[in-house]
Formats: sequence, structure tokens, C-alpha cells
Amino acid sequence: MRVWLLLILALLLSIVIGAAAGHDWMSPADLVRALAGDTDLRSRLLIDWRLPRVLAAACVGALLGLGGTVFQGVFRNPLAEPYLLGSAGGAALGATVALLVPLAAPQSFVLPVLAFAGAWGATMLVIGISRVAGAVDAAGMLLAGVAVAAVLGALRSFLMLALSDETVSLQIVLSWVLGGVQTPTWPILGLLAAISIACLVLTLLLAGRLDVLGLGETMAIAFGLNVNRFIAFAVLAGSVVVAAAVAFGGLVAFVGLASPHIARWLVGPLHRPLLPASALVGAIVVTLADAIARSAVPPAEIPLGLVTAVAGGPFFILLLARRLRT
Amino acid sequence: MMSIAAKDLSVRRNGATLLDGLSLSLGPIGSIAVIGPNGAGKSTLLKVLTGIDKPTAGSVHVGDRDLASLSNAQRANTIGYLPQYFEPHWDLSVAELVRLGADRSDRLAAGAIEAATEKFELMHLARRRWSTLSGGERARVLLAAVLVVDPPVLLADEPAASLDIRHRLDVIRALTLRRPDRLSVVVVHDLDLAFTFFERVVVIDRGKVVADGPAKSLIDDRRIDEAFSVRFDRLKTPDGWLLRASTGP
Repeated sequence: MRVWLLLILALLLSIVIGAAAGHDWMSPADLVRALAGDTDLRSRLLIDWRLPRVLAAACVGALLGLGGTVFQGVFRNPLAEPYLLGSAGGAALGATVALLVPLAAPQSFVLPVLAFAGAWGATMLVIGISRVAGAVDAAGMLLAGVAVAAVLGALRSFLMLALSDETVSLQIVLSWVLGGVQTPTWPILGLLAAISIACLVLTLLLAGRLDVLGLGETMAIAFGLNVNRFIAFAVLAGSVVVAAAVAFGGLVAFVGLASPHIARWLVGPLHRPLLPASALVGAIVVTLADAIARSAVPPAEIPLGLVTAVAGGPFFILLLARRLRT
Repeated sequence: MMSIAAKDLSVRRNGATLLDGLSLSLGPIGSIAVIGPNGAGKSTLLKVLTGIDKPTAGSVHVGDRDLASLSNAQRANTIGYLPQYFEPHWDLSVAELVRLGADRSDRLAAGAIEAATEKFELMHLARRRWSTLSGGERARVLLAAVLVVDPPVLLADEPAASLDIRHRLDVIRALTLRRPDRLSVVVVHDLDLAFTFFERVVVIDRGKVVADGPAKSLIDDRRIDEAFSVRFDRLKTPDGWLLRASTGP
């Protein structure tokens, strides 16, 4: 119980820090005044710009934490991460098309939709390939995922070279690929929050079966789990979660990898407590990383993915070292 | 009570024949040891009987129903399976592992978890994590997790092979001394244990049953020697049998 209280307090604190941080630092008192209904410029800046962005970052982090937990659970590999199965490559391809090809609909709508479609399509492709190859198991999907990710990455690079000109800068595409939460309007933020809660519910439905799968495929079958069907379903569910995260936050590295680990230290390996704990950890990490991204080198903004990668790289190496030693 | 029967089972994989038209009827009650040399097909047989592996040809019947027609939940509740090797991917606690075993039943008897925890002497270990347990403790946890639902049929793939002799005896006793209306089929590597603790012994070689009968009468059967490609001296002891092997002429 104390762990949950601490996690929620830490999230609230990081949201306050996130709202305060930026090119122009604000105090918690400013935040209280703005929330009380003050309408001066600082308050309006907070309510219309800072706060939606900070809350969106928290949602994206929570989604990454959920996605990472599902993928690590499915592949029973603590080094697995949500972007492994080509969903990131697919999302990036979709976003590149949205940014470079002039389409009829507004980009703020097209980009998340195409990123989502790309992530979903790539995952379906991976499942399809492993099915045709007759290896719908964890190893088969991992291999297919690596191959699909490589092809999609090459396609994206080709599109960037072929379609960019003076009017569409490569830098826009690049900054999206490097990760970054856009500031949403309040209705869009509401949508994102609803998606996040739906994803939490969806993944919680998988929790008990992820635990059984963690006993190994043989024992899982003996305990009555239809392993191959469940893996395919869980991968799909995990991809939905990752696609949502990518659609709203670009490619943010390492959060999906690290959050489940930190959460496992706090609440243990059973998935029913692990999923919400991992979501909270992810939300805290991305909220703080986004605060750093906005305030480290004013007035410029560092891509969020770079902040998490710089912090997450050493974490990953530490993890690998611990794993190799045991 | 539930019998389990294999009819003309064949399993072929990558050009190798693991089971070769094997037929065998087991149960509905009692304790049965399955013995045979390495690569005879014992583990494959158990996996096919459990529904973990699919046969290339042939069928498995549980009671009067085809194994393939049972739902996953029915199968998991009817047949308990103990693997030769078990290593959970996450470092779960003893209580969590037993709970996962119990969760596969939708009509668990009241107090079943407590009973299993007590029977396998795990009360003081409940909060310990898997990585901190000794080999003997791990075997007891696995037994508790599989037997907590008290399945009518238990198929065990020599889960005690790597344990020291005392713990091995404990595991074999737990597997053979179940309720009298239950069936236990155990792959046993130690032939003395097979002929001492089990009512019936089935000898498998090259994917086929080569000998099958009550332990008391099968002990003198020379087909055992043929299957293992050795000559056994059978020594009767006050409480069982000792088989001493030699490869000479």
C-alpha cells in the first residue's frame, strides 16, 4: 500500500515540476493561482500550454510502461522492449508519410492516425510472417520483427530522401522520429487520457495469463493456456498500446524497457500489480524527461527521445551486466 | 477415476521417429512407472498424453473422450503434468506459484491451497522467492503447484532426477501415495525405485512399448535387459529390488 501512495505522490510531484519547468520557470504558487481560475498571461500559459503538455507526457509515459510490461511478459525476456516487433518502425513510416506527403486532412489529425496504422500494420505483418513461416512462437516473432523493422527503416530513409524538398524540412521528420510530446488541446488530451485508461484495462485483462506464460510454455500449456493464440493476442494488444504512445509522443527510447524493471523492484513480478505500477513509473519518467527536454537549453528544446536515451543507455548496460553475471 | 489411453501414437519430427505406433492403456487408478533408455520416447509420450505436443498420427483418450475434444480448462483440471525441468521466468514467491497452480481450477476445494502448502511443508517458505530455494524445496513447490487441484491423472517426467536420494524418495512417495482413486504415471530413471514403489511398470524402447506388466512379475523379464542393452543382476532386498547392470558378456 505504501508503495502505491509513494508512486502517486511522486507522479503528482513530477507533474508540478513539469508544469514549473520550461524556458520561463514558474512557481507552484503560479500553478495554484492558475488552477483557481486566474486569467492573467502566466496562468493562461500554464493552463493552455504547459499543463496539457505535461499531462500528455504523463499519459505517453504510462502507455510506454504498459506496452513494455506486456512485451516483456509475452517474450519472457527482461531485455525485450515495445519497439522490438517493428511497431516503432511502422509508426515512424506512417508519421513520415504524414509529414512529407501533402494530404487533404489536417496534419494534427493525419499524423497520429497514420502512425497508429503503421504500428498496427507492422505488427500484423510480423505475426503474418511468423505464421507463414510456421513459427508463431516468441522466438519466431522476434526474428520476424527484427527483419520487418530493418525493412521499414530503409523505406523511411528512402521516403525522407525522395520526398523532402525546400518546403518540407527533413528536420521536422527527424524531430518527430527522435521523440517529443506535442502540446495537445484539452479535448485531444481527454481523448489521450481515455485511450490510456482503456489500455490499462485491456492489459489488466491479460495479467493472469501473462503470469501463467511466465512459467514457461510447457507448464503454461499444462496449466490450460492456449499459448500460441494468447501470444498472438497479447502481442496485438501490446502493439495497440505502443501505437497509441508513438502516435502522441513519437519514438521515445528506453522508457518501455526500464519502467517494468523499476516497477518489478517495487511491487514484484505478478502482472496485476506490475502493470499499473509500470504505468505510474513510465508516467513519472517521461514527465521528468519532458521537463528536462523543455528547460535544459532554453530557448531550444531537446528531443525527448534523446533525453530518455542518454539516461536509459547506461541503465540498459547496467541491466545487461547484472543479467550476464547471474 | 479417469483412465488415459494412447492408440497408435506416432510422433515424427525432422525425420526422426520419436513414437512409433505406440498403444498403451493406463489406469483408471494406481501407480505406473515408465522406464526405458535415453531417447526411447518417454518424455515425448508424456507430453503427447498431456496435450503439450500433438501426435503426427494416432489419438489419446481420457476417460471416454478424445483428448483433442477437451477444452484447455478441462484438460488442465483432469491431467496434472510435472516437467523434467522447470524454471519460471520471473522470480515468483512460493505462495504465488502455488496460487498460479490453483488458479487453473474453476472449482477448487475449499482450503486446497492451505492443504497443499501444509502437505509439502511449505508454510515457512510461503514468502520466499524461487531463486532462494534449494533443489529439494523447489521440487516440493512444483509438486504443490501441480497437485493443489488434485487431478485424477498425474503424469510426471522424473521431476526428481537431479535431487539427492532422500529428496528423490520424498518426491516418488508423494507421486505414488495419492488418494486411492487417483492415477499416477511417472517416468523413472532409477530402476530400483520403479520396481520397489510402483504397482505396474511399462518399458519403452525406440518409440514402442516392449514390455508391460505388474512390477512383481515384470522384474524377471529379459526384455528389460534388451531395452537397456545391458545384463541385470536382480537382487531381492527386504523392502524392494536392486538391479545391478553389467555390459560384459
